[in-house]
Amino acid sequence: MEVAPRPLERLKDGFVYRFVAMHSPCELRIETDDPRLAANAGRAVELEALRIERTYSRYRDDSVVGCINASAGRPVRVDNETRALIDFADRAWRLSGGRFDITSGVLRRIWRFDGSDNVPSRDQISALRSRIGWGRAHWSDGEIALAEGQEIDFGGFGKEYAVDCAINALRRMTRAACLVNFGGDLRVTGPRSDGQRWRVGIEDAARPGDMAGRLEILDGALTTSGDARRFLLKNGVRYSHILDPRTAMPVKDPPRSVTVAAPTCIEAGFISTLAMLHGRRAEKFLKQEGIRAWCVR
Amino acid sequence: MQLNPRKGRLTAALGLMTANLFAGALCAHTAQAQDSQNASQNINDDTSTDANLTRVDSAILFYQEANGRVKAIEPVTSVTLNDDSGDSLHVKLTADTLTGATPNGAAPWTAAQTFVTPSKTQGQKTTVTSASGNSQLVTIPGTDVTARQYTTPANTLPVDSGFRDQRYAIDLGYTGTLDNGDRLNLGGAWSTEHDYNSMSANIGYARDFNDKNTTVSAELNFEHDTSKPFFGTPEPFTEMSGVSKGGNRTKNVVDFVGGVTQVMNRYWLAQINYSLGDTSGYQTDPYRVISVVDGNSGAPVKYLYESRPGSRIRQSLYLGNKIALWGTVADVSARLYHDSWGINAETLEVAERIPLTSFLYVEPSYRYYHQSKANFFHDYLIDGQPLPAYASSDSRLATFNANTIALKVGMRVLGNDELYLRAASYQQSGTSHPASAIGDLKTENLFTGVKATSVILGYSFAFY
Repeated sequence: MEVAPRPLERLKDGFVYRFVAMHSPCELRIETDDPRLAANAGRAVELEALRIERTYSRYRDDSVVGCINASAGRPVRVDNETRALIDFADRAWRLSGGRFDITSGVLRRIWRFDGSDNVPSRDQISALRSRIGWGRAHWSDGEIALAEGQEIDFGGFGKEYAVDCAINALRRMTRAACLVNFGGDLRVTGPRSDGQRWRVGIEDAARPGDMAGRLEILDGALTTSGDARRFLLKNGVRYSHILDPRTAMPVKDPPRSVTVAAPTCIEAGFISTLAMLHGRRAEKFLKQEGIRAWCVR
Repeated sequence: MQLNPRKGRLTAALGLMTANLFAGALCAHTAQAQDSQNASQNINDDTSTDANLTRVDSAILFYQEANGRVKAIEPVTSVTLNDDSGDSLHVKLTADTLTGATPNGAAPWTAAQTFVTPSKTQGQKTTVTSASGNSQLVTIPGTDVTARQYTTPANTLPVDSGFRDQRYAIDLGYTGTLDNGDRLNLGGAWSTEHDYNSMSANIGYARDFNDKNTTVSAELNFEHDTSKPFFGTPEPFTEMSGVSKGGNRTKNVVDFVGGVTQVMNRYWLAQINYSLGDTSGYQTDPYRVISVVDGNSGAPVKYLYESRPGSRIRQSLYLGNKIALWGTVADVSARLYHDSWGINAETLEVAERIPLTSFLYVEPSYRYYHQSKANFFHDYLIDGQPLPAYASSDSRLATFNANTIALKVGMRVLGNDELYLRAASYQQSGTSHPASAIGDLKTENLFTGVKATSVILGYSFAFY
């Protein structure tokens, strides 16, 4: 598939290439004087993002995820890349004690976080709970069979995975220092060309658009999970949009945001999401695991 | 409350998961090499077993590797106490100071390379420029991640110069003579450094036959080591980064040595030993990475922490001779070694002690060593190829030859004493330009072995 070239913006020490994919603003920062290299790199990153979106979107019937969800419980054999991703999800589910669950997407049907007071009823919740649980799906040897009514989605790590794939694609084509940021999930190829670190602003969860702080990274990835604008308010209770698949209920008192650094984006994303799922124990969880993170309450 | 035994479990597991995830997509693998390094043994020429004699031996070792690499200063003191029933107690105290630069495992390249590693001083919130080598500390504010970065110039072997350690060790041994003349020895050793602890215990038994002309001995040694790297243990094959890693790792070593010492005639003593050892647990160098390079140009794409098998079974056969002729004493020994990592090694050593006067002797010696590489030795891995199960670029696992030339001078000063000085030059040679080198790596020296000089100055004395 061809992607139309887009105007690059020239920065003091390179270029930025911007596009939209996976419902998020995406950008590549590349430190080079060569506009052709910057444009080619930008297109490579965009193609990678679009490829992953197309392959794993749950909104497309022809995507891998769409096919699995339409299989109505029949076993589906998947390709190697999907297999590696589902393996990741499978281990993440075990590692997180069931908190990280690719079958939990159906919860969004009853929990709509639009700032309203539409808290679902107990019956609605219990009806849905029977459809959630990766443990009920069968996964072995690259073959997946979902239980009745189950659906999967890769929303929990697809964007992060795309960032990692983009970084890998960049490394294959250039040694220029690059930063890939897909909707706030970002990773760099290494230190900047002058050996310095990249500066990354962190959005203030309470005042969108403002910066709560600035992080600097030399290598690896940074992701932020949060519930900035998405919540429900009823009888004075603030329901976060972080849903615990084990209870089908929102997590109580998660931090406003958790920012985590890790070697790869998919790791950082998993850790920041998992920290949020620990609710008021998020900081304690991070501390116990020896993970350095920045939590905003 | 949970007391943290699982600290770092998550990140460690995750590192492995993502390594799997991207293994097909970008990881790589390459040419093979193998090796090992092993010290040779000698017939124990310690003669300090006289009844009621106490011997004190103090020495200091200076060791220096060429090109500003490792430098060590090691004072040692040992005391051996003998009683009149043939029992003896041996105590040895060692203190080491190691400084200098160690190869970090990455291959040299035609351009400067920058490495990022977690800093030993975590938690600093300000950016610091350190004077240790050409590295600097950088901080990720808020996250408290403090990384250290250093740059290696073009065409230079990447070394990490932020290396310094201090080791203290104590060795204890007791030999008891039973009523039937058999000897039982028990020993233990303990050593500690900032990032490593080791303890061991051994038990041995020896019996004489044949009017004491034949001695058969067997010994078992158990060792337990704990590796506790400054910034945690990286998961093998994860990318080098400034983020702190997982927890401590351990390994266990069991060694058996069985031997026969035979007096051949009044001039010749021969010894044959067979040893079998099993090491299981963490044997990877937590500070060491391996370059993953572009398959055409050889340019570094990334640096992965190395990975070694958790099991190693070692066997060696040693044959030693001590021959006294014309007033001189010659030591001639050979050793064959094989292990499950694929390393085969041969050692040949010759030393000749020549008395010059009644109170002065010289002892020149020569040692030759050759080994074949471990089956998971790689100078580098190639981007895009599947990762092997294990890989290390440690020169000690490569194919190499080593030659040691030494000269020892000893003199009696007061009577029951000896002042000695031993100077040695050790040189490894290996494959600097393997035929399989790709791209511009053909022009780089890929052999990272050492040249070292050591000097020991010691004084021992005995009294009743």
